[in-house]
Amino acid sequence: MFDRILVANRGEIALRVIRTAREMGIECVTVFSDVDATALHTRMAHVAVPLGGSLPSESYLDMDKVLAAARDTGAQAIHPGYGFLSENAEFARRVEEAGLAWIGPPASAIESMGDKIVSRRVMTAAGVPCVPGLTDPVESAEDARAAAADIGYPVMLKAAAGGGGKGIRIVREPGALAGAFRTASGEAEAAFGDGRVYLERYLDQPRHIEIQVMLDAHGGGVHFGERECSIQRRHQKLIEECPSVVVDEALRAEMGATALRAARAVDYRNAGTVEFLWSGGEYFFLEMNTRLQVEHPVTEMVTGVDLVREQLRVAAGEPLGYGQEDVQFRGWAFEVRLNAEDPSAGFVPSTGTIENLRMPGGPWVRIDSALFRGMEVGLNYDPMLAKLIVWGPDREQAIARMVRALQELNVGGVRTGAPAAIRVLEDERFRRGEFDTHFLEGFDLTRPVGDEDRVVAAAVALRRRNLARRLAMGPGAGDRRDWVSAHRGAATDYPVRQSPESGAGAPQR
Amino acid sequence: MKYHVEIDGREHEVEVRERLGELEVFVEGERVDLTYEEVDRMGQVALRMDGRSFGLSIEGGANDCNVTIAGHHYAVRVEDERERAAHAAEREAARHGGVVKSVMPGVVAELLVAPGDRVTGGQPMLILEAMKMQNEIAAPQDGVVGAVHVAAGQAVGAGANLVTLEAPEEA
Repeated sequence: MFDRILVANRGEIALRVIRTAREMGIECVTVFSDVDATALHTRMAHVAVPLGGSLPSESYLDMDKVLAAARDTGAQAIHPGYGFLSENAEFARRVEEAGLAWIGPPASAIESMGDKIVSRRVMTAAGVPCVPGLTDPVESAEDARAAAADIGYPVMLKAAAGGGGKGIRIVREPGALAGAFRTASGEAEAAFGDGRVYLERYLDQPRHIEIQVMLDAHGGGVHFGERECSIQRRHQKLIEECPSVVVDEALRAEMGATALRAARAVDYRNAGTVEFLWSGGEYFFLEMNTRLQVEHPVTEMVTGVDLVREQLRVAAGEPLGYGQEDVQFRGWAFEVRLNAEDPSAGFVPSTGTIENLRMPGGPWVRIDSALFRGMEVGLNYDPMLAKLIVWGPDREQAIARMVRALQELNVGGVRTGAPAAIRVLEDERFRRGEFDTHFLEGFDLTRPVGDEDRVVAAAVALRRRNLARRLAMGPGAGDRRDWVSAHRGAATDYPVRQSPESGAGAPQR
Repeated sequence: MKYHVEIDGREHEVEVRERLGELEVFVEGERVDLTYEEVDRMGQVALRMDGRSFGLSIEGGANDCNVTIAGHHYAVRVEDERERAAHAAEREAARHGGVVKSVMPGVVAELLVAPGDRVTGGQPMLILEAMKMQNEIAAPQDGVVGAVHVAAGQAVGAGANLVTLEAPEEA
């Protein structure tokens, strides 16, 4: 096993890797940009190396700088997390050429699965079912229009090189195609430097179901069951669960075997996720994510397996040492992603300083977060701030636990999507398991639902009054304690008390 | 002192009276029995009201703030009666302006209109890239582009002026 690894990432995923590594007695080197000098992943590392810059391209995406940091600190392996360089085949290759272990799949597998067109061809050849659509990308709106006519509406435009919901548009009528092509291609060009877009049919009432796989370098491989991620907004997942209500034991075994077949078709190794669209009992290959995924904790909660530990073991050359029959599933887990965004204003990004932070606790509640009070939430990086994960013996109890945890949570200073998540979790159709990937489209998440207006109005008015008084009374006056209203005053020991006899209420400390 | 509190667009009136050193609170004219304590001067508030207990979090400035209770969020605007009188005049003046402002910080990816262009409501005027997503900023109503306040590639903050729209000339 390694003595020291480098974590080429930031935020909660960097902490996630550091935590397991520390438990295994492995030292962690982290890298950080100028704006992350005080970030938690910088502070929690054994060694932290400044990369300079604030843009991702100047820091976390700069392969030369990251490799130099690994060399200078004697790290033996690099864990890329998700995002940034995690699905960059060139980087994976350069890591291995530098004599380091890459904690991820072989570069060739990243390449095959990273290009959606290549992966489609390989999957079709391996007998993995795929969604009807083009195998060649289009470069102009005119070509897109012609192709869409063949495939049939609605069609989906997807970046040829992509992920994370960027460069994706759905078009329901020919009139909207040109505009959608322009923005999708522009986004793909900006995010991946490749503006090619391909089209495929959009399935009815599809559910996003993905299979977690793990393969070692000795021919061993298992799947860790499915995750359902159908609660998405603009193809960004919001709520994930394990298992799925539509997957029974037989389907799990079948989809698991298909996922392993897909992985083996590209000589896969380490952790990966094969994403499927499920529709009316059929399932189709969507893409394979050649890295650890954001939502991996729900699988960990249900299987009891630490996926990062398995990643490190496999990367160090160890065999898995267990087979499919050893993988057990127990209970139900949910994850809610907390993004810095404002649900009531159409989910526009929210920025600011974390002024208040109250994290939930209690049984079977897990928080994967890199938040701290005083943290600046800017626009430099992904808006995901934290993940809240809960486990329960069944789906109903797990939902109740997640709602409870979200009610305890308070991230003050920026807006988060937490209120929207509560609304989804409390929805009857969601609770019955009746949803698909369009579920959030029919949901007006912009409408606030809190019904404590009287309480809020009273509290805000009193806060306003206190602020004015503090201003008026100058230094020291702000330390004045608060007051209580008449009905309660005399009998209890409140900080400000009215003396009925004297008629002159004076603050008593 | 009366306070006008607007919560997600809903208007409420709170009156706080100080009588013989004691505070009396009225919400919509009705006396309420409550205790209010600021826990840490950073927005944590312990409030007991109507026989129930609330842990609130309030962040923001004196007039605009965000309140969280049990996971639910309330966007709040508060004015005392003096401020309300002063602001009423400003609001009336602003109503006739036609400036489309940015609702989020981002970078102008592409400008789709130029001064003098006639636009219809819903027509995209520019593309604003934020968090690596491209967002079309559409015209709120029919009009003629009076001025474009930004250039492609320019970073803008939330609330920045983007495009001034003028009423379409009668043909």
